[in-house]
Amino acid sequence: MKFEDLPVDATRAGAVLLVLAVAFLFSPLFVRPPAATLVLFEVGVLFLLYALVLVGLNLQFGHTGLVNFGPVAFFAVGGYVAAIVTANDPYGAVGLGLPWPVGLAAGVVVAVVLGALIGASTLRLRDDFLAIVTLAVAEIVHGLIVTVRDVTGGSNGLQNVPRPIAATTGGGGAGELFATVLVFGALAVLFYGLFHRLSASPYGRVLRAIRADEQVTETLGKRVFRYKFVVFVYGAAVAGLAGALLVFYNGAAAPGFFTINVTVIVWIGMLIGGAGNDRGVLGGLAIIMGFQLATRFLNEQLPVITPDQFASVRLMLIGLLLMVIIKYRPEGIWGDADELGVES
Amino acid sequence: MALPLAQEIIFGLVIGSYIALGAIGFTLVYGLVNMINFAHGEFVTIGAYVGFLSIQIAGLPLPVALVVTFFGTAVIGWAIARVTFEPMNDAGAVPLLLMSIGLGLVLRNLIRLVAGAGGRDVQVGVATYRFEDLGFFVTSQQLFIVGVTLLVVLVLHLFLSRTMLGIAMRATAGNEDLALVSGIDTRRVRNVVWLAAAGLAGVAGILLAVAQEASATVGFGQLLLMITAAILGGAGSPYGAVAGSYLLGIGIAVSVAFLPAGVTAFGSTMAFVVLILVLLVRPGGLVNAEVRTT
Amino acid sequence: MHGNDPHSDRRTRTNRRTFLKLTGTGALATAGLAGCVGTEDGDGGDGGDGGDGGSDGGDGGTATPTEDESMDGEDGGATETPTGPDSVLVGQPAAVTGQWDFLQPAVSQSADLAVQEINDAGGPLDADLELKRRDTAVDPQQAREVVRQFVNNDGAVAINGLFSSEITPLWDFLQEQSMPVVTPWPGTRFLDTRGGDKGTAGDTGDDEWVWRTVIGDTVHTAGAAQAMVDNDFMTMGVFNGTGAGETGYADAFVDAYENLGGTVAQRVEVPEGESSYQSQLDRLFDADFDAWVLALALEDATTAIQNWSQGGYGRQLMMEDGLMSPDLIDAVGEAAEGAWIAAGSTQGPNYGSFESKFNEAGDADIHTWGVASYDATNVLALAIHRAGETSPEAIEQNVGPVAREGGTTVSTFAEGKEALDNGEEINYEGAVTNVDFTQHGNVWGDVAVSQVTPDGFEEQFSIGADTLQENIEQY
Repeated sequence: MKFEDLPVDATRAGAVLLVLAVAFLFSPLFVRPPAATLVLFEVGVLFLLYALVLVGLNLQFGHTGLVNFGPVAFFAVGGYVAAIVTANDPYGAVGLGLPWPVGLAAGVVVAVVLGALIGASTLRLRDDFLAIVTLAVAEIVHGLIVTVRDVTGGSNGLQNVPRPIAATTGGGGAGELFATVLVFGALAVLFYGLFHRLSASPYGRVLRAIRADEQVTETLGKRVFRYKFVVFVYGAAVAGLAGALLVFYNGAAAPGFFTINVTVIVWIGMLIGGAGNDRGVLGGLAIIMGFQLATRFLNEQLPVITPDQFASVRLMLIGLLLMVIIKYRPEGIWGDADELGVES
Repeated sequence: MALPLAQEIIFGLVIGSYIALGAIGFTLVYGLVNMINFAHGEFVTIGAYVGFLSIQIAGLPLPVALVVTFFGTAVIGWAIARVTFEPMNDAGAVPLLLMSIGLGLVLRNLIRLVAGAGGRDVQVGVATYRFEDLGFFVTSQQLFIVGVTLLVVLVLHLFLSRTMLGIAMRATAGNEDLALVSGIDTRRVRNVVWLAAAGLAGVAGILLAVAQEASATVGFGQLLLMITAAILGGAGSPYGAVAGSYLLGIGIAVSVAFLPAGVTAFGSTMAFVVLILVLLVRPGGLVNAEVRTT
Repeated sequence: MHGNDPHSDRRTRTNRRTFLKLTGTGALATAGLAGCVGTEDGDGGDGGDGGDGGSDGGDGGTATPTEDESMDGEDGGATETPTGPDSVLVGQPAAVTGQWDFLQPAVSQSADLAVQEINDAGGPLDADLELKRRDTAVDPQQAREVVRQFVNNDGAVAINGLFSSEITPLWDFLQEQSMPVVTPWPGTRFLDTRGGDKGTAGDTGDDEWVWRTVIGDTVHTAGAAQAMVDNDFMTMGVFNGTGAGETGYADAFVDAYENLGGTVAQRVEVPEGESSYQSQLDRLFDADFDAWVLALALEDATTAIQNWSQGGYGRQLMMEDGLMSPDLIDAVGEAAEGAWIAAGSTQGPNYGSFESKFNEAGDADIHTWGVASYDATNVLALAIHRAGETSPEAIEQNVGPVAREGGTTVSTFAEGKEALDNGEEINYEGAVTNVDFTQHGNVWGDVAVSQVTPDGFEEQFSIGADTLQENIEQY
């Protein structure tokens, strides 16, 4: 399945959608979806934010083969920086109270700087060691958030962060959720389009060549490190953006929004969908998040096991799913086995 | 006269011993199976529960329980590896790593499902020996833990250097293909590696159960420290892993003693900072293993 | 389709109920699927959003008038209220998994016990009280989705749960739901000046919707600090973990203690889940002080206490209230012998009668939050009954009045319902405190200092809430 077959280019569609979404925000129009669907919208908001993280990660791992186990580090840094810059007198933390666009920019810039630092220093490591370093970076970021709590608010996090969308639609209700999904959806489509364009271009072919065989690519005169570096920084930027959006949606940052679960969900989604297939990975993310949502509704239908046991069973099922995918269909549902260099 | 740092070094040796027992197994698997095993922490957890069962339920004395735990966990770990990792031995480093993450999730939650959410205490009597003049104390439990670890290292050394199987293991770690053509049964070697890695993790588990408690996440909590120690020592090298573990343990203990009071909680996270620095400055670790791509 | 025979037997009634539940769900779906598109004219934009969503779900979840007639009929025809629901649903966000899962069993057991008693007494508004439990893993994102699901899908009329670390990041969101949250969990000082009805029960305009039936950190740390000062421990060390509860407790303790003239000589913060806290303890005891306070989650606290005892560091130990658990005695009863624990717990007016019922109901280990869960559930049920209807707003208006001073003193739902039906005002006295909510939705309680012995906790002395109130400005 190739995206080019579709009549519309995703980048253009995303840009148009974004303009429409913003116009909608400032228009007197509102849409309130039915109450019963709101939990779907709630999960949808998270899906779109994770999708942003995932398009970056897929460029890193799916196309270039960089095993980044710490996307949550950049997600968290983007979110926390945005919150610290914009929060208005948070409880037991530092808030500069600047306008939200400043916070958004600061969040992305700091995530990019962190990505550049880590990329520059560690991208020469072997795949599996890069995995450990990025995982360690995520742990360090988490450790810092919890330790430097005079600034970050520790486990309480930072409150009183501006909520630009809620400010125009009224907060908490169906109207805000709908507008949020519209705006985040437009951004997700836009970045999907941009990253897809990149990976479908000659540039992307170099990335896949790096994934297949770094040394050969190097001997062909391509500066492998530079490619890897750029890809790593792109991923960091878009994850930072997603983190900042999350904070502006919740009006708060807290360690609980940025746990290792983000990394796990995004990775599993990518592997299920098929790393390297730009649309497939989003399908995979939808499957895993849909599974989580469905099981929450399912619990009460299974009176045989207690909710306590059920929670364990649910996580076991996710682990099993991952094992089965890796073993029997390593290219995922929509991935290309040859391109990924795996045997199925 | 108080010996400077004596107390910190004792604490560091104890922390390092827990890490070492896990890190040896981790690094053996890395060297011979060529995978980073994220489920290694769960082998430790299994050991903690086998230890709990043999001490609190079966009422065995600690040394006997230790042996039971070693063999029990070895067999369980080996069986798990046979089913999961062995069939995809040739898939490459990243798929094996992802497999181990899935396995870790399954095992951790299976243990929680069976054993319950709460932890289980393992009670063992402890005596404290004080050396007031020298300014430190040491407990029987600390001596036991460090002693067991040193014994394990000694036995491992004898095994690797004096037995045919151990020599075959080192050959396989060096070059599997070459080992294969020289008539070494690499499959058998891998079996032994899994048995040893899981068994040693089990020993770490029972010792953690005594010091802390047996809970579903007790091993997972130590995983990153073990990985750090293994890389610090040079991935694949058991001796390096031991040295890396003690360096790390002493480093944590000393940093807790001297970091500013406000950031003492950052003590363990410091380990990961150390890890990244090591990979930047000397990516091969103490023994200079090869971890760069080109 | 429904017979109106008031004397229908129990079996057919059950059947009809099941059927009604199904149609109720159907009604929910239809009501819930009606969305809304329009323009923001006049008052359309702001608060209306949340309200709409909420009441849609609420209406759908409750049943049709037909059923209520038959209900009333069966209950003997005291039909003061012409319409009332068949069942009332309260959502309980719970820590079924995650770091605090070991605390959930007692909270669930208490809540279930309260629900059982409430329904045995006929239920609020003569309806079945249903408590639906959903796992949040104490993750704010999951908590948000769970609350959303309770409000918009399940048709819950109130929330009975949520931790500090869920409430603080979701504060705006919870305010916008306009739904009463009565929770047994949070100790955080964040809530000292937030939550409650601001003393104006009838007016929800200034309400902050969150109520807690557990004593806040401010109060029992003040008690702990008072106890130390009263016993001439004027310099102390502080040893705490980095979790929300632990840092919150330690911060509050340090403030209260310094306020009373004490000096904190050293404070050491430690990560969770360490194999040993030996080096951190050594760091702490390098400093010179008379006593030390320990705020760590149970599993880590037992490790630290063993290390402390083995290290022979001595000094009087004061522990955070959360450690008052039989598990602590089992694990370190001997090592910690003589240590103090200051807890506002288990001293409520009706703890005695609660405890025996709790022990019959199951085998969960009792703790403060478990007891507070009983109070939270009862308060909600009484508020629903006094409200006379099931809109979240009406319930919110009645949380304060059923629990605050004034009126007949009651300790169970049955007593309260009877008194309310007789037209009296009531004052619910709980198992953990007397539940006299302050304007910010907090509760006061005496702080009891107990000593650890190998066999359990022995109460030594207690510090009255009135003493503590002198030194606490806002609560």
